[in-house]
Amino acid sequence: MIEFQNLQKVYESGGQQVAALNGIDLKINKGEIFGVIGFSGAGKSSLIRCVNLLERPTSGKVIVDGHDLTSMSVKEVREIKKNIGMIFQHFNLLNSKTVFANVAMPLTLAKLPKDAIKKRVQELLEFVGLADKADYYPDQLSGGQKQRVGIARALATQPSILLCDEATSALDPQTTSSILQLLKKVNKEYNITILIITHEMAVIREICDRVAVIEAGKIIEEGSVFDVFSAPKTQTAKNFVSTVMNDQLPDSIKEIIQKHDGMQRVFRINFVGSTAGQPLLSELAKQFDIHINVLFGNITELQGTPFGNLIVEFIGSDKEVIRALTYINQKNISIKEVAAHAS
Amino acid sequence: MLVNSEQIISALIETIQMVAFSLLFSTILGLPLGILLVVTRKGHLLQNLPFFTVLNGIINIFRSVPFIILLVAMIPVTRLIVGTSIGTAAAVVPLVFYCGPYIARLIENSLLEVDPGVIEAAEAMGATPGQIIFKFLIPEALSSLVLALTIATIGLVGASAMAGAVGGGGIGDLAITYGYQRFDTVTMIITVLILIVMVQGLQSLGNIAAKKIRRR
Repeated sequence: MIEFQNLQKVYESGGQQVAALNGIDLKINKGEIFGVIGFSGAGKSSLIRCVNLLERPTSGKVIVDGHDLTSMSVKEVREIKKNIGMIFQHFNLLNSKTVFANVAMPLTLAKLPKDAIKKRVQELLEFVGLADKADYYPDQLSGGQKQRVGIARALATQPSILLCDEATSALDPQTTSSILQLLKKVNKEYNITILIITHEMAVIREICDRVAVIEAGKIIEEGSVFDVFSAPKTQTAKNFVSTVMNDQLPDSIKEIIQKHDGMQRVFRINFVGSTAGQPLLSELAKQFDIHINVLFGNITELQGTPFGNLIVEFIGSDKEVIRALTYINQKNISIKEVAAHAS
Repeated sequence: MLVNSEQIISALIETIQMVAFSLLFSTILGLPLGILLVVTRKGHLLQNLPFFTVLNGIINIFRSVPFIILLVAMIPVTRLIVGTSIGTAAAVVPLVFYCGPYIARLIENSLLEVDPGVIEAAEAMGATPGQIIFKFLIPEALSSLVLALTIATIGLVGASAMAGAVGGGGIGDLAITYGYQRFDTVTMIITVLILIVMVQGLQSLGNIAAKKIRRR
């Protein structure tokens, strides 16, 4: 478990004080995958670095598994760090050492006996799928393989927490996906709490249970991934969601709407969970005297629940359209009229 | 030619001795100073700005004194350490004071080139400052450190030539006293050739070693 209490971090830069973290209160539960998303400079890097005190907060508390790190001695913090693994955007492997030696490093530092190290490292390389690369050097590996080494190294001391600092930001989408699957496996098999910071909403959608949006050093929105994606409250969250949900109307569709002569009305229908399984459109066409034209739409899966929206055009008399709308409202499906100039 | 082959060989041995011992002691002096210059600077492992500023200043002072002046100025110190200020052993003392701070700077440069991310990873693992220096910084910089020491060694070959001024002997001494002062062109050419071969050999050796450490 990780808990931040009124966390502040102020940097001194050229005589000016810049607040990177401006009173963060956040609780990350044991065993969950928690994502923090924000633009560059929002403070997410500072936040994750406070968890293992790579950066010391100016004030506030960082509580990891019941210990308040800010009140501990340097030596005690060093011990706690063995319980917190970390992976990085640029992997940060030792280029002078083999894959084996890199993964073995935390164990070497802990002065484990040689054969115990060997056994553990082989186990880890097996887990991340690099058992055949033990004698390779990092510069002989691809980015995805380097991150796998990073993950194996971070897990060496059997931590209960894994910190991922933009861990997939330097990777292509396909590799990103395979690394995210590996992180999911880490979370499931070892019940490790994972804290991810990223600027990619796709990462959050793919593996996180809960998400917090950070802006100007503050958490501006927080909730389950499903809630934030299906109903973002703040503009920043909306912007992030739209980067992956693709619910903006394409220009070509907007043009069609603008050319309308009044007989047609355009609506956005949101499907959430079980409502996505209903044959709504064909029911409407059968029961009411209207034509339905699907202009645009998509359905995605969020944490195992379908979620999507459709932009449809109802063509028919006012009376029939209103009857259809009443029917839809009775079914508890959200529907909103789309104006030509809006999305 | 005013010198015989025996004189050249014994001068060569003197040069090798001077360079080897100076290099050894300069490294013993320069390596820890170089490490300290890195880790005590702002934002680093063992940040200590007063210490860093003083050390940095002292090294600059030694680096700014011309070697020929240092050679003479160091005579009392040399007497204290070696017992005499004349001879090959005596030449080592000023050479170390000349080359040690130089090596410290070179090592500082090599260590600063190490990716800060690697240090961050080490800190995240809970490594102690000592572990970070010896298990992360130095191994990562090793190839570049070898090249730095190669540069220092070649610098020592050049400086040792001037050590003739305190009766240090060596190839450089031969070149100055016979080749230059007595207009013996043949000796001049031979001694310079020997120095060229030495420098070429040392640089190649350093390059090969650095490459071997870097692997590819």
